[in-house]
Amino acid sequence: MSTYPSSHLRLTAEDTETTVRIELRGDLDYDNADILLDAVTEKLRERPRLRDLHLGCAGLGSVDSTGLSILLMIRRRTDAAQVCLHLEDRTAALDRLLAITGSLDYLTGDATRGVHETSGPGESRADTEEALPARPTGPDSRA
Amino acid sequence: MADLHGLIVLVNEAAGEVLPEARPGVRLADAVPSWLASAHAALRVPRQGDGEGPAVRSGSVGDRVFEAHPTVEDAGTVLWWLVDATDHRLAQEALRRERERTAFLGKASNLLLSSLNLNRCTHVTAQMAAEHLADAAIVVAPVRGARLPLVSCLRDGAPLASVADVDPETVPGLAEALQGFPPVPTRWVEPSTVPDWVLPEGFGPPGSIVVTPLPGHGVPAGALILLRRAGSAGFTPEEEVFARLFAARAGAAMSAARLYADQSAITDVLMRELLPPSLHQVSGVDFAGGYRPSEDHERIGGDFYDVHPAINEGAPSLVVLGDVCGKGLEAAVLTGKIRNTLHALLPLADDHQRMLGLLNMALLNSHHTRFATLVLASAVREGGSVRMRVTSAGHPAPMIVRATGEVEEADTRGTLIGAMPDVRAESAELSLAPGETCVLYTDGFTEARGGPMGDAMFGEERLRRVLAECAGMPAESIVERVQMVASHWVGNGRHDDMAVVAVSAPRNHHLSAVNGHTRGRFTA
Repeated sequence: MSTYPSSHLRLTAEDTETTVRIELRGDLDYDNADILLDAVTEKLRERPRLRDLHLGCAGLGSVDSTGLSILLMIRRRTDAAQVCLHLEDRTAALDRLLAITGSLDYLTGDATRGVHETSGPGESRADTEEALPARPTGPDSRA
Repeated sequence: MADLHGLIVLVNEAAGEVLPEARPGVRLADAVPSWLASAHAALRVPRQGDGEGPAVRSGSVGDRVFEAHPTVEDAGTVLWWLVDATDHRLAQEALRRERERTAFLGKASNLLLSSLNLNRCTHVTAQMAAEHLADAAIVVAPVRGARLPLVSCLRDGAPLASVADVDPETVPGLAEALQGFPPVPTRWVEPSTVPDWVLPEGFGPPGSIVVTPLPGHGVPAGALILLRRAGSAGFTPEEEVFARLFAARAGAAMSAARLYADQSAITDVLMRELLPPSLHQVSGVDFAGGYRPSEDHERIGGDFYDVHPAINEGAPSLVVLGDVCGKGLEAAVLTGKIRNTLHALLPLADDHQRMLGLLNMALLNSHHTRFATLVLASAVREGGSVRMRVTSAGHPAPMIVRATGEVEEADTRGTLIGAMPDVRAESAELSLAPGETCVLYTDGFTEARGGPMGDAMFGEERLRRVLAECAGMPAESIVERVQMVASHWVGNGRHDDMAVVAVSAPRNHHLSAVNGHTRGRFTA
């Protein structure tokens, strides 16, 4: 068990061989969201056999766009490392943010995409792999 | 050893070397410096309650300094031990100077670092140098074009800025010092070769001159010229080293200030680029926009909006309102990228999904997940009403203010742009009757904290209520009203950017009868 100090965002991590659980307390925002990314990146690097990463969001205060951006980056990294990301005990405010921004499915969905990725932990995938064409699903995609 | 009457009794060999006149039998006053003689005389005066030991005196003998320790013997004879304290004194003197200099450097650092204003840094440098290092100091800034910006300062004078149309080559070492690299040592300059422009007004003939580079953070910060008047002491090597120490600090402060000034100039340029356009009526549809940037001055906000008028008559115009994640230059760069990309994609403006998909591809980046949320709104006049298609890409859905005072949320949702491999969005079709308005806004409004207690969120419900009161108002008034209420809500508190765009079907009089299907003519 280890604790990462921060004035606004406090992280408490519990590790096993294949599972890491990080409790988030405080704001995930412009000023300190990178603490979480650093912590997760570190875990991914030091635990090559990691299967599941649980982020406990019950104590989460406000999450701004930078905070969300960090969550997206974490998802990208866990996919690359073939680790399942679990955002647990989400607050209503977080759910609302994820719903409005349309990122709920992406962040909480199965990491099926990760199975096809071969890049190592912490590495980002290349643009070309990311840049899949969007699916025009709206009812009015014709002019 | 001298007796009660001031006659020397005994002189040892060492004392004889220092004081060649001193021999037994000679009067002390004739053989030793007056400070020692008077110390001896003072000891002969009997003192009452003399609890302390005899005082140690000191003074110079020739060019050295001695301490004289008296030992009073029973017969009133005084034995003077002379201790050579020259080196000790020199060390003490050096220590005092060193302390003074450290204090000066500390003060210089405080003054220089307390400001990121380049002018102020330059002035402080000139003033401090003139006060502590020389009779006058000139700070030469790096050359801009053919002109040399100078700040000169006389001791006890005020710094004076000027621009000289001169060649730095005319002062030996100055051109090299201004280039900054490779580092050049401090240069002594022959006073007679100094051109007049170097001398501050009323300085008189120079005695000695030193040119020291001001080293910056890898960029030359300029040069410092120190001047002393003819007749005053020249610069010692020690002083020169010290001037260099000072120059290092001044240079660092000045280049930091210059970098900051450059950065804020860039920020200004970008800001001007990013300022939202003023909106007006386009093809029979009213557009109004308002933008209140966050008051966090160091950070460029991430909200933006644009209106792209239809390319062909009868085609819809496109409104884009968005919010970029993060702050500062990175956000500004992403905003610029989005606006440019969307502009290039305008021929596809009718297909919001395709536009968003292409925009997402253009923005996806392997090394960050900075994203944007935005709303696309196409609006075209159809008869008296305005037909719209709005698409939210991870953004709060636009609100529609009906003529009845009802406020609806457009039924559109989608994913944010620029961070996820796939994006989806569902558009909403809607129609605005004359006097009805569709309001696009950023979460800077709904998430503004303020109110009576200062920490309540403005929230969507409050925004709906404000909009409901705006039923029937023209687009511009609605924007003003929303901005006013929100700004009242946050008071002096901190807030994020707030951007709002209103799209209205104007209440115009028909000039020609139309059946609702053909385009009519309307007053503007």
